[in-house]
Amino acid sequence: MTVIEQTRAPRSEARRRRSPLGSRWTPYLFLAPAALFIALFQAVPLAQEIFLSFTHTSLLNPTSNTWVGLENYAHIFSDDEFHRTLTITLVYVVVCVVGSVGAGLGVALILNRSFRGRGIARALVTVPWAAPGIAVALIATWMLNPQYGIVNRFLNAVGLGVPGGAILDSSTYALPAILVTTTWQLFPLTSVVLLSALQAVPKDLTEAATMDGAGRWWTFQAVTWQVIKPTVGLLALLMTIWSLRRFELIWLMTKGGPVGSTETLVIDLYAQAFDSKQLGTAAAIGMVGVVISLIVIAGSRFVARAAEKENIR
Amino acid sequence: MSGEMPSERSGRHSEERAQPPAEQARNRARPEHTSGEMPSERSGRHSEERAQPPAEQARNRARPEPTSRLRIGLTLRIVAVLAVMGIAIFPLYWMFVTALSSDADLFASDARLLPDFSQFGVFVDALAEGETVRWLRNSLVIATGTTALSIVLGIPLGYALSRFSFRGKALMTVVLLLTQMLPEALMVVPLFSLFNRFELLDSLVGLILANAAFVLPIAALILKGAIDGIPRELEEAGRVDGARPFTMLTRINVPLIAPSIAAAAVIAFFHAWNEYVFAVTFIYSPEMQPASVGIASFIGEVGTPVQTVMAVAFMFTLPAVGFYLFAQKYVVAGMTAGAVKG
Repeated sequence: MTVIEQTRAPRSEARRRRSPLGSRWTPYLFLAPAALFIALFQAVPLAQEIFLSFTHTSLLNPTSNTWVGLENYAHIFSDDEFHRTLTITLVYVVVCVVGSVGAGLGVALILNRSFRGRGIARALVTVPWAAPGIAVALIATWMLNPQYGIVNRFLNAVGLGVPGGAILDSSTYALPAILVTTTWQLFPLTSVVLLSALQAVPKDLTEAATMDGAGRWWTFQAVTWQVIKPTVGLLALLMTIWSLRRFELIWLMTKGGPVGSTETLVIDLYAQAFDSKQLGTAAAIGMVGVVISLIVIAGSRFVARAAEKENIR
Repeated sequence: MSGEMPSERSGRHSEERAQPPAEQARNRARPEHTSGEMPSERSGRHSEERAQPPAEQARNRARPEPTSRLRIGLTLRIVAVLAVMGIAIFPLYWMFVTALSSDADLFASDARLLPDFSQFGVFVDALAEGETVRWLRNSLVIATGTTALSIVLGIPLGYALSRFSFRGKALMTVVLLLTQMLPEALMVVPLFSLFNRFELLDSLVGLILANAAFVLPIAALILKGAIDGIPRELEEAGRVDGARPFTMLTRINVPLIAPSIAAAAVIAFFHAWNEYVFAVTFIYSPEMQPASVGIASFIGEVGTPVQTVMAVAFMFTLPAVGFYLFAQKYVVAGMTAGAVKG
């Protein structure tokens, strides 16, 4: 409709009527639908959760809230089990980040060579990232089955079998099993992103370094690492934030058990809300996770800015 | 690893130069089996070298590399590539093998490592049961709706963030990034009460809205990055003609960012296809269940044969992986742009 109108209007008039960017309300018209949508389904719920974290509220009667101030926070921080949850979350996040970025970098370096079939190799390597978390949890559970799982058969064959084979029922081995599964699902993304970052490494520079007799390690840290460092930092940040909120893989594999040995913040929050029906406590736990994420983001910005200043100097 | 190439190459050059023609021919043929390096690239480097005598000198200085060492290096690299591919593929391959196993093979003391295609009926049986088809259909509806909604809302948002400067722009960008750290498990309670009020529980529409809220920020950031890459000059002509910004967006920008729209669409589609927390909480009638919830209900359940479970899970996984591989180039480009710029 607007097109018809405009073609009919004399050009000079059209130019006089509108500034080149349209009126100053134009950008708001473009973003209003999305902004309203995000406000309704993200901002309002978040505000409600913040409110809930200061109340006693039961899942069975969510509209009746008793304001209790900071009691929920005081309660969780004085709880030893919550301290364990924080420790497990820390271990989970750190291993996920180091594992996925490390494995991704290794794979990216392997694939950063031209060889026949590289395209296929690169495509196949990204498959785990595309696989749905539900399917991954399902096949992981089956592979770890105490009697018939391929993992136990393999471990027994090489003499590393876990007694009884019940890896996911063991408070020692369940977390490592989940960490391996998570890393398996994450490394394709980090490797693909790092692979494209490696394209920016000047080839003649690495070759020159090698020609001058520099070792591989020296070349890597003096040339390659300098180029991909910002990408590594960004990936580490993304992996941290995503790992802090990862739910379904852990929930479907162990539900946080056995005896809380795989209970991260998000698992604890869900169990509090839907098993213990304590919406207030659950919200407070969730807020702790959100604040940790915010600190990580702010910290990374600070580090990035400091690094930038260093470079300018 | 990264430092090895040049010395290896110089080793190969010197070898070729020193050896009789027959030997040379064999050497030229060999790398296709071992390294598989592109021949054209090699010849390109040859000519490059001829043009730069100093470089060649430098290379010769570092030359005398024993052939056996580079063969070990090559073998190691091939083994590494194969190992990584194997690790990446094996669990899904194992899902397929398990689906196609007879009971005897499944519970035998020695695992059968190859699929038994005579058991293919398990896929047919799983599809013949109405449940599986209904799950997949519900997932398809949810994923399609989520994709459409997040693209339709994401394009104008990305355009506004890319082309205009306005009050609140920085805030909007920060909000989009902050949504990335909100766990679904946290938002499930308030969204539950919101949907309860608007009678959106136990409905696919509710799930579409919830999923779109989570994937829209990612889509918008990817699309903003794509529009950033389009020269503003292309819009100037439109401006002279007096076209409104909306026309310029739909006529000039949208066709040019089609690959990024595809990337955002694939990401949105599979976010919704895979989503579990909202679906398991908001849906209670079996007819509305998507495949993620249906398949998750198999975990820890013993009534259904393992082969059927794996067959259904494989049919749920295959579209995600297949479609992803098909659109991989765009998705990776989009994700990378979004990740690097976001």
